[in-house]
Amino acid sequence: MWGMPKFMKPVIVIVLAVGVAAGAAVFLSRGSEEPNEASATASETPNHVEIKGGGHVRGSEKAPLTLVEFGDYQCPSCGAYHPFVKEVLNRYPDKVKLEFHHYPLVSIHPNSFAAAKAVEAAGEQGHYWEMHDAVFEYQSAWADKPDPKPIFALLANRIGINGTVLVQTMDSPEIQARILKDIERGENAKIEAVPTFFINGERTHITLSMEDFAQVIDARLHK
Amino acid sequence: MKIRPVVIALLAFTGTVDALYLSIKRNAGPIPCHITRGCTDVLTSKYSTVAGIPLSAIGLAFYITILSLAVFTIFEEPNHPLTRTLAGIFYISGLALVVSALLVGVQAFILKAYCEYCLLSAALVLSIFLASPHPVRNKPPE
Repeated sequence: MWGMPKFMKPVIVIVLAVGVAAGAAVFLSRGSEEPNEASATASETPNHVEIKGGGHVRGSEKAPLTLVEFGDYQCPSCGAYHPFVKEVLNRYPDKVKLEFHHYPLVSIHPNSFAAAKAVEAAGEQGHYWEMHDAVFEYQSAWADKPDPKPIFALLANRIGINGTVLVQTMDSPEIQARILKDIERGENAKIEAVPTFFINGERTHITLSMEDFAQVIDARLHK
Repeated sequence: MKIRPVVIALLAFTGTVDALYLSIKRNAGPIPCHITRGCTDVLTSKYSTVAGIPLSAIGLAFYITILSLAVFTIFEEPNHPLTRTLAGIFYISGLALVVSALLVGVQAFILKAYCEYCLLSAALVLSIFLASPHPVRNKPPE
């Protein structure tokens, strides 16, 4: 390349390399969001999943959109998403209902299964969603405790139910079976990360922001 | 053939792809792990930013700097002393290695969750550091 200043060659190589890297990164990120039908990923993480049974529903039964969440009470990102999910239900009271399924990742969140049991036990006393909110909102208070049960009892008392009864009932085989069944549903739906959302059965990536939640919901409502 | 700068450039290129991928995925919902478990936990934790700047963006700046220094070294004249660019790679990657070690520690002992993309980055930083010649021991003759 005659007449080109000496430093231009490396500069061109650097710009090209960064450009190729950017292309590769965009390709890889899209690849995992929108799996190609021919790829192995596509068969492992189907975009449309029918989740049969289970789950707890919050919001209007008649709402046209069902936001299914597979979540883990000890997962910090699920805790971070929680206020946005609540806000969605406040903002779209007749349009969106939440269906929450347990997917505790016990290998990295040792108290997550106990938390799911505590929320289910609160449900037995008719206060599932109050406990669901409390467990997320006070996640940092129990997440690292060797025994989180006393904190769950305190949270139960705080929402107006009997904490002692909650601790006594949370280890019941029925509750445990309900959570295990939800985990099985999550495995069938090929959950790779928590929280994972589905809107009317379609796996949906939503950014941790109210704007993105609103954008996704509005787009689905106008579909 | 200047093997070391070529190897460093390839490692930095891989790191650039990794950091760019994380920068894109960071704002696109939960990040799936394929080998480890807890990518989203690590990447949305309070340790994933410094003064509001995502670590993936800082990592990207690091890899582009190392890539640039390595490419400039490749294009230097064969007898050029190369001391500045190589010393730059050695010291910058040394500093990055300390930061990487701290971040692996945060994953292991505080978050108790691992992000495979972050572990890959730590391995790349270590490899770049090991591939960069020590500026004093490899000082060219006067």
